[in-house]
Amino acid sequence: MQRRNMMKWLISLPPMLFLLVFFAAPSLIMIVTSFRYPGEFSGLAPLSASDIVSGAPSDLYGLTLETYQFFFSDTLYAEIFLKSFAVATASTLICLLLAYPLALLIARSDKRHRNLMILLVILPFASNFLIRIYAWMIILGPESALNHAVNSLLALMGLPPVMLLFSPFAVLVGMVYVHLPFMILPLYTNLEKHDPVLLDAAQDLGANRWQRFWRVTWPQSLPGVFSGTALVFIPVLGMFAVPDILGGTSDILIGNLIKDQFLGTRDWPFGSTLSIMLMLAVIVTAGLAAWLARPRAAASSTST
Amino acid sequence: MNRSIILYGLIWLLLGLLAGCSQQPAADSNQISRADGVLRLFNWNNYINPKTLRRFEQQCRCQVTQDYYSDNEELLAKLAAGATGYDLLVPTGNAMDTLIRQGALRPLDKTLLPNLKNINESYLNTAFDPGNQYSVPYATTITLIGFNREKMQELDLPTDSWALIFEPIHLQKIRGRVTVLDSQRELMAAALSYLGYSVNDTDPSHWQQAKELIIRAKPYWAAFNNTSYIRELAVGNLWVAHGYSNDMFQAAQDARNSGRSFMVDFVIPREGATLSLDSMVLHHSGRRPDIAHQFINFMLEGENSAELTNLIGSGNPNRAAKEYIRADISSNPVIFPDTAELARLEMLKELDHKQRRLLSRTWTEVKLR
Repeated sequence: MQRRNMMKWLISLPPMLFLLVFFAAPSLIMIVTSFRYPGEFSGLAPLSASDIVSGAPSDLYGLTLETYQFFFSDTLYAEIFLKSFAVATASTLICLLLAYPLALLIARSDKRHRNLMILLVILPFASNFLIRIYAWMIILGPESALNHAVNSLLALMGLPPVMLLFSPFAVLVGMVYVHLPFMILPLYTNLEKHDPVLLDAAQDLGANRWQRFWRVTWPQSLPGVFSGTALVFIPVLGMFAVPDILGGTSDILIGNLIKDQFLGTRDWPFGSTLSIMLMLAVIVTAGLAAWLARPRAAASSTST
Repeated sequence: MNRSIILYGLIWLLLGLLAGCSQQPAADSNQISRADGVLRLFNWNNYINPKTLRRFEQQCRCQVTQDYYSDNEELLAKLAAGATGYDLLVPTGNAMDTLIRQGALRPLDKTLLPNLKNINESYLNTAFDPGNQYSVPYATTITLIGFNREKMQELDLPTDSWALIFEPIHLQKIRGRVTVLDSQRELMAAALSYLGYSVNDTDPSHWQQAKELIIRAKPYWAAFNNTSYIRELAVGNLWVAHGYSNDMFQAAQDARNSGRSFMVDFVIPREGATLSLDSMVLHHSGRRPDIAHQFINFMLEGENSAELTNLIGSGNPNRAAKEYIRADISSNPVIFPDTAELARLEMLKELDHKQRRLLSRTWTEVKLR
């Protein structure tokens, strides 16, 4: 028994070390960075020289709350956070709506075809992510067939023409397109495990199609829904490439802002502060979601 | 069995995303071990003629490797994050200023650079590097307005003023067909020029005015864009773009070569614009300053310098290059501005960290509203 425990530790040691070195340590560095002063030209001010840079005499070891004060000094940054959360929520919901029927279809189809179908879901990832996003520029572009079709339809209804590319719509399309497989795969792994006997039993007890889905399949698939949601929501929140390429003049998201602090403004402390606020916001949201999901899960477990 | 396939799938997806997001050049590590006879260049994309490069490699019996950046801020950010081993960089004036003050550059040995005499004096002795201790001018670009000439004539729009991208009266005719640079400094510089201030003005109230000007014009712009405007102008999707003279040159060439029914043209706005002087400098972490000096002297030869201009239409500070430059380029008053025109151009100066943070905040507001 003891040897078995030893083995467990030995096996989990490498990934734990990996996380310690490449996740915990950088996070700590980031937290410290967020309390430092920016350097005159880039990076960080030397610890000893903080008085020279800031002119404030009473700093403790060159640490400061300056960047946090700046963050909370007006509502601008809060607005960007809210907007990013709205985009992430919308992308996640659309992904879920699109992925669920497909995952269900794959899970309920003949075993021989499932692997092929899953392969097809993954296949787009054989080409580079940026190339696929650039392809959307052509699909949505002002001279594209799609844009012409949409605009002639709008003209029939007497509405003014729209520009698909460089719009919030294009950003949403890009986000959903990139992250859809991340929703499909966990849903599929979950749905595939469902025992079809349960559905038969429900039918025998007089449940109609809708009741069978809503009271049997859906509650069972919630773990898949949650992991898919996490796999989509969190990456979308930090994504900067899609709004950069497909977005218009007002489509800045929190990811762009953080990237700008490091690559554009060379303001490491503020970039770290923004990253930490984002992490906190994600943790709070996840906690809230778990809390909201709790009674539902309890209800379904008592009913079975 | 099924599960393992899914797992593989997920791993693939993650790898794909990571690969898509990483912009770090992969060539970093494997070059350092073979430092012998290798010149490592950290350069702008497409900023040297491959022909020239091959000739240099033959002449010095060495190898030249290049990594690329597309923005000065990217260069500085990567160096600040610890990128090392580069012999030669090609920063613009304000970025060079930062590098000099950081002590990141190696002084030049001018006895190894006899061809320095070819450089036009008006590009020497800049405020960034008095006496050219560290830098040798390489090429220039001007930030200006490029446009579809036929469309502008058809809509009767003025092309020689920043009003074209800032005034709603003009913009309403070209809504959604305009892009501006996704660069805090360049767009602010354009707005400040239009308002009659210096591009280096740092008065917060003037920045406020510039911000309001930009926010007022923004609904008419299609996007902030640094690269794809070249193609979009040449194809005809865009009619007006705020961008760099060498990019506009390329767009004009592409439009002509593919036989479009319109011409892409570019002019320097009469209110003034920014001039970027890119210079060759030695990074302190470089291992082969000897080859780097050789390279600089080689690039100062008229013929070699001219090849870059012939390729991308950049301005050329080298007097000896003039005779090798294609006539249609050397006669273009925008690429080779006369002295009166040069006087209207300003080079961007570096901001301190407080100003950078304020500018970043202003920029965020511009992007959000």
